[in-house]
Amino acid sequence: MVFNTGAALLDAIVLAVVSHEDEGTYGYKITQDVRRVIDVSESTLYPVLRRLQKDECLEVYDRQFDGRNRRYYKVTARGMAQLGLYKSEWKTYIQKINAIFEGGVTA
Amino acid sequence: MNRKEFMAELERLLADMPEEERQAAVQYYADYFADAGEENEAEVIRELGSPEKAAESIKADYYGTEFNESEYDNKDYMKKYGQRSSERRDSSRPWTSNTLKLILIIAIAIILWPVTLGIALTAFGIAVTVVCFFAVLVIAAVSVMIAGGVTVIVGIVAGIAVPPAALVAVGIGILLFVLGVIATVGSVKLCIVVYPAMLRGFVNLCRRPFYGKAV
Repeated sequence: MVFNTGAALLDAIVLAVVSHEDEGTYGYKITQDVRRVIDVSESTLYPVLRRLQKDECLEVYDRQFDGRNRRYYKVTARGMAQLGLYKSEWKTYIQKINAIFEGGVTA
Repeated sequence: MNRKEFMAELERLLADMPEEERQAAVQYYADYFADAGEENEAEVIRELGSPEKAAESIKADYYGTEFNESEYDNKDYMKKYGQRSSERRDSSRPWTSNTLKLILIIAIAIILWPVTLGIALTAFGIAVTVVCFFAVLVIAAVSVMIAGGVTVIVGIVAGIAVPPAALVAVGIGILLFVLGVIATVGSVKLCIVVYPAMLRGFVNLCRRPFYGKAV
């Protein structure tokens, strides 16, 4: 893609991907889901997940899978609020960009 | 390089991080390999580049530096990383927080309790007076209107006994009633304008501490 994905947008995308799983989801699946939309390398998402976890937007828990502990990520209430903020910011952002692209500067 | 070698090397490279950080990162990549499956092992290792690169991205984020993949050509990354992290510690970003500011404001308010209580009560009193003022205007106007109406009725009832006085009373009553109607309409319209404006002003005032200057 020609456009860069900034840190805030990446946070928003990861929060959105994780929020779609009520039971939580795990690192590999999150990476695959995000990579379906944007081109990020496999090492990009761990720091993002770790940071969101420290900011208490994500919580982790371990669950038995295939004879090992798999770490699951789940969006917290705080994370949902943050995602809501990102979504509304994104909406106004793309509206402004679209306005410029499609009909000159309006506001 | 296979998965085992990759993980061993990654663990070694993260050895200088706090235990908790290191374990979380190692667990993540161990999970990652396991979930990718053996058939994708080579692909994952190729994508991750090298244990050094994975370690660099983990540390860069932990120490708050920007990890830039295009910059990652420097083989001597430990040196680069070392310089960066020391720079970072000297000029660590100024630590501010809205929550902290709010707590401070509340703490100051509590310490200056006698003064703040006075100010708060005065402000409250003024606010109540201003709010009530417009409502009182409406009530006064309605009262004038009712008084006019009553005067007219009384005039008509009394008119049977004393016709001239009754005419005067009815005339004054009608005048009062009309003035009351005009005043009522005027003051209600004033309230419609003033109260929403007050509410907006109050809401904005309350929002200011949370949104900063750029609202």
